[in-house]
Amino acid sequence: MSRMLSIARAVIADCVRRRVPYVVVLFAGILAAAIPSLPDYGVGVEPEVFREVALALMYVAALVLSLALAANRLPSEFERRTAYSVLSKQVSRWEYLLGTWLGLTAVVAASVAAFTVVVQAVALISYGDFMWVLWVGTLSIALEMGVIVAAAVAVSTVSGPVVVVVASALILFVGHSRSTLVGGAGATDLSLFYPSLDSFNIMLPVAYGGGVSALMVLSMVMVFAGLSGIALLLGVVLLGKRDL
Amino acid sequence: MEQADSAIRVDGARKVYKTVGKSPGRAAVDGISLEVEQGSIHGLLGPNGAGKTTTLKMLIGLVKPTEGIFEILGEDSTSPKGRRHLGFLPEQPYFPQHITAMQALRFYGRLAGVEKQDLDGRAVELLGKVGLDGTERTELSKFSRGMLQRLGIAQAIIGRPKVVVLDEPASGLDPVGQRDIRNLMLELRENGTTVLLSSHQLSEVEAVCDRVSILNAGKVAAEGHIDELLNISGQTSIRVRGLDELPAAVNALAGDVAVSGSVWVFSVEDSAVRSVVDAVDDAGGAVMSLAPKRESLEDYFARLIASARTGVAS
Repeated sequence: MSRMLSIARAVIADCVRRRVPYVVVLFAGILAAAIPSLPDYGVGVEPEVFREVALALMYVAALVLSLALAANRLPSEFERRTAYSVLSKQVSRWEYLLGTWLGLTAVVAASVAAFTVVVQAVALISYGDFMWVLWVGTLSIALEMGVIVAAAVAVSTVSGPVVVVVASALILFVGHSRSTLVGGAGATDLSLFYPSLDSFNIMLPVAYGGGVSALMVLSMVMVFAGLSGIALLLGVVLLGKRDL
Repeated sequence: MEQADSAIRVDGARKVYKTVGKSPGRAAVDGISLEVEQGSIHGLLGPNGAGKTTTLKMLIGLVKPTEGIFEILGEDSTSPKGRRHLGFLPEQPYFPQHITAMQALRFYGRLAGVEKQDLDGRAVELLGKVGLDGTERTELSKFSRGMLQRLGIAQAIIGRPKVVVLDEPASGLDPVGQRDIRNLMLELRENGTTVLLSSHQLSEVEAVCDRVSILNAGKVAAEGHIDELLNISGQTSIRVRGLDELPAAVNALAGDVAVSGSVWVFSVEDSAVRSVVDAVDDAGGAVMSLAPKRESLEDYFARLIASARTGVAS
């Protein structure tokens, strides 16, 4: 466990020094600050529109950040042989993979949290409201990105960054297309087994409703744990079979 | 050699890389066996593609062997637990660029099991030992190739391993750096550490290794003590000085004659040594040294590889 955490810490330190999170958060923050200047969608709903656009920006920024950090992390470590000095010690390949995922997910989650703070500041100035409900969106986005990072890390054990980005986009598309792709009822109802990311769809309740229930939060956490676990398990198997 | 004395044991190592189609695949390593005594320095030599790096990678679990047993101090080294006494320097080591030397060594030290309270002290000590004093706070992006190599050696030994595997440790180092690494290897051996050294630098191998294994085309082409491999049986190398030219009696017996100033080096049959020494003495020369004639490792290596290529036994 301590070795896994050491690897996660090293990944966090490296990501922070690459300044990618700063750039993404800064860019997204500037955009968030510009939201109040958008044309009004209707009198009395500006804060709701603000929340919706802010969450959408947060989502896109988090996705870009996740893929930017995860797509080339392992391929470059294998290519530059930095992984050799780690894996030649008493470190299992699963510890290496999980440590990498943990570090990347922590960086993405921290960036989303920083983005939320910026959005809250803008909301306070523009609408006199802290909009604490945004943190539910933050949690949802961070968890969904955890799944995407896990999938990206798993795919990257055997392929390069381009394939990782394409595969991640495909997983995202499939994950949010259950209602379109799986229909039917009774014997043909496969929706229970579908790797759906729909649990993370909290845009409307956060932007326009009163937030989400504890059950929805629990559902998000369970989907995060289940799908991340499956992706990481696949990654461990693939990495375990691979020659470095 | 008793198995209990083996720090490293490789038995029947084989690695076949699959090829496209129905062909049986290409064997990069084909039945290599090695035993390295505890507290010794063992050299691994061979041309490019001989299977050195693949063998090392199988030993430390980076490449999955097709067949074979790999042990370090009696434990399966392909499992993480079996590597707890191992330090490894990969060929041309690379590190995350945006961390400092101190941070890098702290990281590798934690992975190697160094106690938290000892990490900083050990890191500073090792930076000094490998000639990187004062670089604690320097980002690795500012390190030269040679400095990265030195840092690679430091991370390999930070956990005070009992077995160290070095893949081309002198690569990228200037002559002073190469000498430092040689001294470091000798110091490790003095402290009881076993070193497996893969190198193209034959002079380095000759200077420090107790035994060598020469690999070619995925197999062990020769293995033994340096002296056993290089000494030419029945021949003595003689170095004399003070002569403008060799006496006729010596000239008739001497082979491989080389001269520099008034110093002559040549070889003769063991049985002719006494008469040659007398002839040199009579001519007013002085014998500086007598030693068993030894082939240079370069010549031996080239001859071995050439004979393997032509299918002629050496």
